[in-house]
Amino acid sequence: MSLLQVRDLHTHFISRNLDNEIRIATALNGVSFEVSRGEVLGLVGETGAGKSLTAYSVMNLLKPPAQVVGGVVEFDGRNLRDLETEDMNKLRGSEIAMVVQNPRSSLDPLTRIGEQLVRVHTAHTDTSESAARARAIEMLGAVGIPAPEQRMRAWPHELSGGMAQRVLIAMALMNEPKLIIADEPTTGLDVTVQAQILDLLRELVETRNVAAMVITHDLGIVAHYCDRMAVMFAGRIVETGAVETVFDNPEHPYTRTLIASTPERLRETKQKILGGGAPPNLYNLPPGCHYVERCQFADDSCNNPLVLEQVGDGHFAMCARMDAVREGWPS
Amino acid sequence: MADLALSGAPRARSIPEKVWGKIVGISRRSPTSIIGFVIILFFGLLALLAPLLMPYDPIAANPNLILQGPSANHWFGTDGNGMDVLSRVIFGSRFAFGIAIPVVIIALAIGIPIGLYSGYKGGNIDEAIMRVVDAFRVFPSIILALAVVAAAGPSLLNVVLVIGVLDAPIFVRVVRAEVLALRSSSFVESGLIVGNPTWRILFVHLLPNAIQGAMAQTAVRAAWAVRISATLAFLGIGIQPPTPEWGAMIRQGAEFMVNGQWWVGIFPGVALILMVLGLNMFGDGLQDLLDPKRRSGGK
Amino acid sequence: MTEPLLRAENLTKHFVTPRTAQTVRAVNGVSFEMHAGSTVGMVGESGSGKSTIGRMVVRLLKPTQGSVTFRGRDIAPLRDRAVRALRADLQMVFQDPWSALNPRMRVKRIIQEPLLLHSKLSDSARSDRVEEIARSVRLNTDLLTRFPGELSGGQLQRVCIARAIATDPGLIVLDEPTSSLDLSVRAGILDLLQELREKTGAAMLFISHDLGTVRLVSDHILVLYLGHIIESGPMAKVFDEPAHPYTQTLLSAHLPADPHTQLHRHLLEGEIPSPIDMPPGCPFSTRCPLVRDDCRTALPPMVDIGDGAQRAACIRIPEGSNKVPL
Repeated sequence: MSLLQVRDLHTHFISRNLDNEIRIATALNGVSFEVSRGEVLGLVGETGAGKSLTAYSVMNLLKPPAQVVGGVVEFDGRNLRDLETEDMNKLRGSEIAMVVQNPRSSLDPLTRIGEQLVRVHTAHTDTSESAARARAIEMLGAVGIPAPEQRMRAWPHELSGGMAQRVLIAMALMNEPKLIIADEPTTGLDVTVQAQILDLLRELVETRNVAAMVITHDLGIVAHYCDRMAVMFAGRIVETGAVETVFDNPEHPYTRTLIASTPERLRETKQKILGGGAPPNLYNLPPGCHYVERCQFADDSCNNPLVLEQVGDGHFAMCARMDAVREGWPS
Repeated sequence: MADLALSGAPRARSIPEKVWGKIVGISRRSPTSIIGFVIILFFGLLALLAPLLMPYDPIAANPNLILQGPSANHWFGTDGNGMDVLSRVIFGSRFAFGIAIPVVIIALAIGIPIGLYSGYKGGNIDEAIMRVVDAFRVFPSIILALAVVAAAGPSLLNVVLVIGVLDAPIFVRVVRAEVLALRSSSFVESGLIVGNPTWRILFVHLLPNAIQGAMAQTAVRAAWAVRISATLAFLGIGIQPPTPEWGAMIRQGAEFMVNGQWWVGIFPGVALILMVLGLNMFGDGLQDLLDPKRRSGGK
Repeated sequence: MTEPLLRAENLTKHFVTPRTAQTVRAVNGVSFEMHAGSTVGMVGESGSGKSTIGRMVVRLLKPTQGSVTFRGRDIAPLRDRAVRALRADLQMVFQDPWSALNPRMRVKRIIQEPLLLHSKLSDSARSDRVEEIARSVRLNTDLLTRFPGELSGGQLQRVCIARAIATDPGLIVLDEPTSSLDLSVRAGILDLLQELREKTGAAMLFISHDLGTVRLVSDHILVLYLGHIIESGPMAKVFDEPAHPYTQTLLSAHLPADPHTQLHRHLLEGEIPSPIDMPPGCPFSTRCPLVRDDCRTALPPMVDIGDGAQRAACIRIPEGSNKVPL
């Protein structure tokens, strides 16, 4: 049973430029995916694909000129877009928690971390300060921070990158969230610390039946820590499925290019991958498939509107020319 | 979403539509810049077209018409020498520009290279330079100007030079701040790796990128220059009557104010305030336009 | 054995923090060689000193101690003016292409600058050469008239590479050249570097924290930890049979982009110590799973493994007890 169901989400940036013309950047163009309890969904895509924007749109944290202009965000049976601001505020930080990329920018530099953890708890529940403190210490321990009682009095700048990230996760856990959204949680951290944090996240998902969505550009993380993955391009999910399935049988040309560009595949195939190219212009996207300009298989049928089609068990892709791609892709 | 199927590509517009569009677009972001611009334009036109606009010769004294109030013949009245105040105010705008522009140019010419060098070098050299610069900034400029002009003589040139030098520290600070921010980005390292000598790093690489703040400040500093020179003239230093400079006119007007002859001082005073206001508004608005961080909103 | 193009000996860099006057021992006694036409990969995590070493090799930084012998001449003690003359021969590509290029300079001028500074070509000859270079880095010549802000990450990095190869340098240091780029773009850049290497015979020092990428491009590998080289050798040997315990754990923690690969990991405790607070003896002694008392007394020397092409600094190697259980 999926905990979070996003259907056809559209987010636009609407602004006026200095020539007083309205400019609309269609950043999310019909994003659809689901996340269930006890599983980790990996969201991958290049810069500008809309991964972080998706998370912020779901959490209703957009600031002008960005705004959600269409779609449904259903969490635990409720449509989040219909919620009153107050109710959404209650949800955020308690049932849905977000862990962001740069831990230091999320921690208040002028407050000790213990205090910040306590605040998160008392803001959402009716517990006493001492109960909140006890829970904070418990959470710090759960995320593997040594000597948690002493750490409560630490200032954010005293923490290393890895510690700070762990404190953020502890904060996310304070109110027993049902869903954790982690946006590039390990970028910039050393490989060992990365492993520790990801192991922790995985454990939470498995033992506490939490649902998790990990946004990353690192396919290695997706391969080993995610159960399912969704590939984003120009504001759309172009392929989604179980991790092994997508790695073994990518259908969409973009996914194929991504998988083929990993060092592991490059070593095997020694094939010339001419991936990449100009990033899509969100102010002026092609009418049908957004990948046409970079795709070697594009033809006129690609200009028609597209939907995610089922290509296997739990495996979906959005491409008008999948048969041609299957035949034409070098093996 | 059908109702928002506007594509990003706007339909082609005609030239007048584009110009109006630009004006509206800019005024949405920064209404003050447009208002300020209009004011400056107004005075600029006055300065340029003064000979055509002045009803009378600004320094033609007429002993028969001393201290006449505003009338149909003399909209702003006449002053203590019988000279037409309106003509003098119009002509005075030339001085405002004649002072503001050279002062800012001198201040930029001194301030920018120092700011570039100091910010780039960093360390002890930077500290030493900034101490000197701060001393200048902190010193009461009027007193320094008084001293210099008293020593060197009350000519327009001296006034301009002194104010120009006094104005330079702001530009040093602004340029230096931008250079400091740029130093941490690797394009200075890139400049070095290619093999640029220091002067090229400063002027070819850093300057074009560090100049924005300084440019945004020019209008505001011009306003200050106008104000200071008017103040000096008011104090009796610098420009002397009968030269139709607003500060000197206000000085003269201050004497007559007591006797109820308000028009001699008020009109040049209003002109001065408007000019300075216009420059400040334009400068402020320019900063809003150029520095995206000052604007609100946006992700 | 041909003369190495570059030899770094006992390279050391210590920084003193301005306010607290603590010594950051960023690089400590690093020695290695580079030969024309080969790519040396330098891997390490934060605090390893790899970027600092890269900058010392091209003399953007002056070593605190040690020598950098380039084409037989020690460039470490040279004055800045003399170093500038070398720039035609010794170049660098930086990690972040967005901040490495002057945003107010058109691409053509950017690529042209080294030619302007170091060659005596006429304006038109320079212009032709710029087009030639743009083609060799697979950069569309239409982009030459644009500003960096109008180009994508991959295109920008190609401009940086174009600028670096303009004067046909003998040695190029690349500091994480693909880390800031999107996945789909990286392969193209790596492929280009390979091609350039073959065409020009330049030596490359490829610095990266990403093991997958380093494995693809390097002939020879240097593994760094806290400013020390703890292992070096031919790429295949070091990856297949890492000798030093740190190399073993580092490789084991790498996440290959293949869900079927079984992970056999040894996860280290804690975090990398700060280069201000260097542990005595072996720098890895605070976290090494095989540590024993004499690891802390003295810095282990590099010992040969097998025929000597591969070397590592661990006292357990001669006795064969250096394998970390995974």
